[in-house]
Amino acid sequence: MLAYLLNLATLICINAVLAITLNFIMGYAGIFSLSHAIFFGVGAYTAAFFATHYSASLFLAMPVAMVVAGLLSLVLALPALRVRGEYFVAASLGLQVLGVTVFSEWKSVTGGLGGVIGIPPVELFGYAVTDPTQFFLLALACLIPVLLITSALLRSSFGRNLKAIRDSESAAHAFGKNVAAIKTLSVVVSSALAAVAGTLYAFYLGFINVESFMLDTSVLLMAMVIIGGTGTLLGPIVGAVLLMLLPSLFSYMSFLPQTEIGAIQQIAYGVVMVLLMIYRPGGIVGSGKRSQA
Amino acid sequence: MSILKNIVTAVLVAGAVSVVPVRAADVAIGALFPMSGLNASYGDIFSSGANLARDHINADNLIGGKLTIQYEDSQALPQQGVIGMNKLVNVEKVPYVLSAFTGVSKAISTVAGRSKTVAVNGGGVGPDLAELGPYFWNIIPLANYEVRAIIPYLVNERKLKRFVLVYIDDPLGQSIRKEMETSLPAAGGQLVEALSVPASAQQFGGIAARVRAANPDVVYIASYGSQQLQIVKQFRDNGVKQLMVSYTAFSVPEINAQPEALGALYTTQFMDWNSQDPITKRFVDDYKKKYNKMPTAYIANYYNAVRLFALLTQQLQKKGKPVTGENLLAQRIESKSFDLVGGKVTFSENGTVVMPMQINEVDGKGGKTVSVAQSK
Repeated sequence: MLAYLLNLATLICINAVLAITLNFIMGYAGIFSLSHAIFFGVGAYTAAFFATHYSASLFLAMPVAMVVAGLLSLVLALPALRVRGEYFVAASLGLQVLGVTVFSEWKSVTGGLGGVIGIPPVELFGYAVTDPTQFFLLALACLIPVLLITSALLRSSFGRNLKAIRDSESAAHAFGKNVAAIKTLSVVVSSALAAVAGTLYAFYLGFINVESFMLDTSVLLMAMVIIGGTGTLLGPIVGAVLLMLLPSLFSYMSFLPQTEIGAIQQIAYGVVMVLLMIYRPGGIVGSGKRSQA
Repeated sequence: MSILKNIVTAVLVAGAVSVVPVRAADVAIGALFPMSGLNASYGDIFSSGANLARDHINADNLIGGKLTIQYEDSQALPQQGVIGMNKLVNVEKVPYVLSAFTGVSKAISTVAGRSKTVAVNGGGVGPDLAELGPYFWNIIPLANYEVRAIIPYLVNERKLKRFVLVYIDDPLGQSIRKEMETSLPAAGGQLVEALSVPASAQQFGGIAARVRAANPDVVYIASYGSQQLQIVKQFRDNGVKQLMVSYTAFSVPEINAQPEALGALYTTQFMDWNSQDPITKRFVDDYKKKYNKMPTAYIANYYNAVRLFALLTQQLQKKGKPVTGENLLAQRIESKSFDLVGGKVTFSENGTVVMPMQINEVDGKGGKTVSVAQSK
């Protein structure tokens, strides 16, 4: 049982990192990205490639993955961020489709549709981390700095600029803020930190393929942020815990027919989302009022 | 006070339930199928075969106790698959898990290997599934066996020598190409052209022109889903008149109903639904009775996967050994062949079944068998 709980806790940590980084741009800068799974994937594929060809050291693989994801987001976000609101959502959707196609077709790096198999265990100071408890502690050790970094950034003037852009991009521009630069930088930070989750994911599963980085994942991450509470520090974590635990809880309800659990889950998700949006639109942690984001 | 009383009662009831004796031979196995999402229908199909096997095993008292199947929803996704696999291995403590879908199978193979739990695939045919370690078994012949089975028939009996391969650019298609490159020259044939198509492609006019230019005797199509329907239709529309050949993916109602596919040949594992072999006959009769339709090879595979577990367990019980993944693997290696639906099945060293294959022709009525071949 402990190993199962550790497995869930590890995946919750990984998804919480993703939800926090998405909330950083979505909840604070008002950038509704539907392509966050792509940067998660870039981090995972880069770490997997680096680990299988060069070194499985976390201190090498993770920074490389972060740099690649950050630089790629810079290249991709610059043109996309010239548009705002629903136009950015559409642009990010395009980015998601493009990313999935590249993941599927760039066989020498991503293994194509078959994926990358045989990723070695992550190494810390030459010690291979294979024990589930140790990996959970590693994931937790990555989640905490991500939370602290985003929290520190949001408390700085950069964070205030992000909120200003979220509330009114035109007003921020009128006040002399370089809106494009601030938005681009926020996307770069968010993507680089999402690569932390990607690195952990690749090492934890030992196998990755494109199925983990599809639009479904982006939507799930967005749901984590919205359900937990956009624009709050704890919201994404609560959302990640809830959405990761709910399916597992359902599978423990022995009175439900085994083969119908999936369908019941979908119905329950839908009902919970509808009720939440009616009675608590700001999310579980957020205010009861409708979020401004 | 009443709250305290309720808690005490609940604890006592829970305690009483937990000390209810379980029969020593009661065994649970796991199944990791998509029960929700886009592929949920596959979960229903696969579980219908597994459940029928469970019912038969329990009715026959084959393992001396009750066999149950603990289902977990993989949603056909790697992450959900790993969560489900961890629950089955670490909470339910099952020694044997039925697996489906290539991505999920690959993702869970690490957990299976580390925990020494047997995982059995009955749906995917990509040859890379044979490389997932000793604890990952395939109870379905992989695609390379299918190619090996049909080439001698086409070259020697039909006297068709020049082949063009049109293959989907994924591990399955690539493995079929690799197999053709080695099997065809050895059989006296020639691969005159191998044309790859991206997984998302739906327009094949240009490919058809290249096929026509190559002027082969046979066009082998290694694709699946809606793409293979488009390839067949567009090839015929663009004047490709040669014989079309494929593998198990052609054994779907859509191809059977497609006028352009009439006369095409394809391989499947050998399954004589009219066989008088008692295991096959009982499976077919009871499936028809329960679902009012004929079973398919996928359903037979998951039936066989559960039956295989029961046969191994029976042998372990005779020896007084516990039913663990490690012992199941050792017993499979020792026993080698098993009486399953479709006949006697043997396992090769890499945990993949070797079984007779049949060559079928699309006739618009569900396909007719034209030859039976033994793959090596």
